[in-house]
Amino acid sequence: MTIEVPQGVSREALTGCILALADDELMLGHRDSEWTGHSPIIEEDIAFANIAQDELGHSLAWYTLLGQMNGQSPDRMVFERRWQEFTCCRLVTYPKGDFAYTVARQYFFDAAEDIRMQSMGRSVFGPMKELAAKISAEEGYHLLHSHGLVERLGDATEESHRRMQEAVDIAFPQALGIFEQFKEEEKLVEAGVIVQSTRLQEQWLKTIVPVLKKVSLKVPAEKKGNSYVPRVPADSGGRVGRHSDDLRQLVDDMQLVYQMAPSGRW
Amino acid sequence: MSDTQWETYEVFHQSRRGKSHEHVGSVHAPDPQMALQLARDQFARRLECVSLWVVRSKDITLTDYQDPLFFSQIFDKSYRDPKGFDAPAKIDPTLKGSGDDD
Repeated sequence: MTIEVPQGVSREALTGCILALADDELMLGHRDSEWTGHSPIIEEDIAFANIAQDELGHSLAWYTLLGQMNGQSPDRMVFERRWQEFTCCRLVTYPKGDFAYTVARQYFFDAAEDIRMQSMGRSVFGPMKELAAKISAEEGYHLLHSHGLVERLGDATEESHRRMQEAVDIAFPQALGIFEQFKEEEKLVEAGVIVQSTRLQEQWLKTIVPVLKKVSLKVPAEKKGNSYVPRVPADSGGRVGRHSDDLRQLVDDMQLVYQMAPSGRW
Repeated sequence: MSDTQWETYEVFHQSRRGKSHEHVGSVHAPDPQMALQLARDQFARRLECVSLWVVRSKDITLTDYQDPLFFSQIFDKSYRDPKGFDAPAKIDPTLKGSGDDD
C-alpha cells in the first residue's frame, strides 16, 4: 500500500495539492448542505442535499488517498485541523447567500472541477488519474444541473436576471481563486502530475463566459485573441490558508461535535 | 388550490430494461429537460434505475371520480372474468389484477 511519488516531485508538493482538492470539496459540500430545508423549492432542496453528499464523497476519496500517503485518518484531517490550515479556495468558504449566489458559485465550481478532473485524468500519478476519472463522471451531472439553472435563471424574468447578475458579480472574482497556484506547482506540472492552473483558468473562462453571455449576464472578462482575460483581481489566498472569518465559523460548526470528545469513537 | 411554483411533471421509473415504467411520483420543473434531472435526484438515487420518463401532468387525460357510470358494472359480467382454470404461475400476476374476485 506504499504509494510511489512520481520522479522530480516532492511528497509535500503532491500531498499539498491533493489536500487542497479535498478541502475544496469538503467545504463546498458543507455549504451546499446548508440548503437542506431552506431551498426555494423542494426539488432543489433534495438536489442540493444530493450534491452536498457527492462533494463530501469526493473529499473523502481524496482524504483517503492522502491517508495512504501520510498515515493520517480522514477524520483527523477534517476535525483536528485549525481553520487556517485548510487550503481550500475562498470561493467555497462563503455562506450560502441568496439561492442565485449558490447557483452561480456551484456552476463556476462545477465547470472548473470538470475541466480540472478531465486534465487529471491524464496525470502520470496513477491514483490521481483513477480518482479523477471517477469524480469526473459524477461532476458531469452536477455541471448539467448548475449549468441548467444558470441558463434558465439568467434571463427568465427581470428579478431572476437581476439576482443572477448580482450573484455573478460576487462569485466571479471568488471563482478565479480556484486557480490560485498550488505550492511547488511548477514541479508538479513538469512531472506531468497536473496541468498549470493558469491554463485551466483559460479553459474555464472559455467555457463559462459564452454561457453567461447567452443569457445576458455580464462577466468582467475581455476577449483577447482566442482567450479571455479577467478584468477583476482574483479573490485568492485560500491555498495558503488566508481565509475570512466565514471559514472560522464554518470550521467551528463542523468540528463542534467531534471536539466535544476528540478521542471518542464514531 | 393554486400552485405558484413551476409546472408539475409525472415521473415514470424503469428498474430494468424490458420491465414496465412505473409511476413513482411527480416533480416541479420549468421544462422537460430539467424535470428529468430533478426526477433523477428525487427518484433514481436510491432505486435501481435504467430509464426515466417525465410527462407534463396537465398533458394527461384522466377520468373523473365524480362520474359514477364510467366504471360501473350494472349487469353481472362475472362470466367475462378470466377464471375457472389454472393459470401458469408465470402469468398469474397479470390475471389477478383484471378479475374482481379478490
